[in-house]
Amino acid sequence: MVRPAMSEEEHRPGPESDPSDDHQSFANAAWSIPSYVLSGMAVYGGIGWLLDHWLGTSALFPIGILVGLALALYLVYHRYGR
Amino acid sequence: MSAVLAAADSVNGNLGSIAYGLAAIGPGIGVGIIFGQGVQAMARQPEMVNVIRQNMLLGFALTEALALIGFVVPFVHK
Amino acid sequence: MSAPHLLAAGGDEFEAPGLHIFDWGPLFSGGPSWLDWLTKPVLIVILAALALIVFAWRAFGNAQLVPRGVQNVGEVAYLFVRDQVARPMIGKDGDKWMGFLFTTFFFILFLNLSGVVPVLQLPATSHIAFPIVFAAFVYVTMLFLSIKHQGFIGYFKNMMFPPGLPKPLYVILAPIELLSNIILRPFTHSVRLFANMFAGHLLLAFFSTVAWWFLVEKLTPAGAGVGVVGFLMTIIMTGFEIFVQSLQAFIFTLLAASYIGGALHPEH
Repeated sequence: MVRPAMSEEEHRPGPESDPSDDHQSFANAAWSIPSYVLSGMAVYGGIGWLLDHWLGTSALFPIGILVGLALALYLVYHRYGR
Repeated sequence: MSAVLAAADSVNGNLGSIAYGLAAIGPGIGVGIIFGQGVQAMARQPEMVNVIRQNMLLGFALTEALALIGFVVPFVHK
Repeated sequence: MSAPHLLAAGGDEFEAPGLHIFDWGPLFSGGPSWLDWLTKPVLIVILAALALIVFAWRAFGNAQLVPRGVQNVGEVAYLFVRDQVARPMIGKDGDKWMGFLFTTFFFILFLNLSGVVPVLQLPATSHIAFPIVFAAFVYVTMLFLSIKHQGFIGYFKNMMFPPGLPKPLYVILAPIELLSNIILRPFTHSVRLFANMFAGHLLLAFFSTVAWWFLVEKLTPAGAGVGVVGFLMTIIMTGFEIFVQSLQAFIFTLLAASYIGGALHPEH
């Protein structure tokens, strides 16, 4: 009965031995996109919230969130989209 | 509108979490479509894999942004 | 442990299980006070660790050239982790990390699978403390390796300033990168595992409570249909949960390997 032993497996030129950069960068990108978007919203929404707090306005928080969203999407586009 | 307000009175629990549940439906379908069609496209044209991957990621980012907007709206609109 | 516990607050109305199903007091409630730390999640963690030790011992402790018995299973598992996680994510030096990755994958897998093991029936990772500790371990490793391989300045430069952007935009975008990589990364890493296990356990508890309530406690002709649906959904969701639990253990290990690989090879 033939079964793959570890020593045979070592010499097999598996699909991973070709440049695996693509696989890795794709997985990295797919997993880090939500955290980019969330952190963009957190940073600029947080700045907007602080400004609201100090200036007594109420519109800057949502505006900050949308600005952060746009910037994070631009960052994602710059990092992975080209 | 009045029906929604009446429902808000009879729901026990946080209304924001229910809103997020509703807001996650659309992006959930969207992410499924994006990756499903993306894998299909890769299988059909393996030589275009890099272009397909980039477009998949961009579409995923835009769709994910919608889900995250749904996540923060309860914080903004108290 | 089963339906009577879930329905502790039960009156005449059906009551869906809430967050109280995750509250476990000391296992021996009347026992001595020095045993108070022994709650059910702690017991599950100890059992999972013992199971992993026994499994690895049986598989690799006395390895033969021609494997037999448990060693077959162990080698297939090792090859799976190595070819699916370590080599694609870390690259050539991935084999050096196999000890860590193999242990992480199987420990989390056993903790997750305890959610469908009869009598235990609580995924220990549905308490956020355990995923946080795992994620913190990976995070500290990642920071240490990044600073060791790229230098302190170089690490932050690689992370916060991706090349090719116009200069003024760096001021705007660097905080996003910093927050995303330093703060949100371990957070999402642990919450992803925790939330899946938490929701899965709640779902299983809900359907089994429906089945118990409508078929055993309050059996009426009208409610029996609901109970049968709950019973069937319990079986279906148990199968689905096994899938989700394996997948989440795999994803956690994959992300850990990806973070370590990113720390070792910053160019990717």
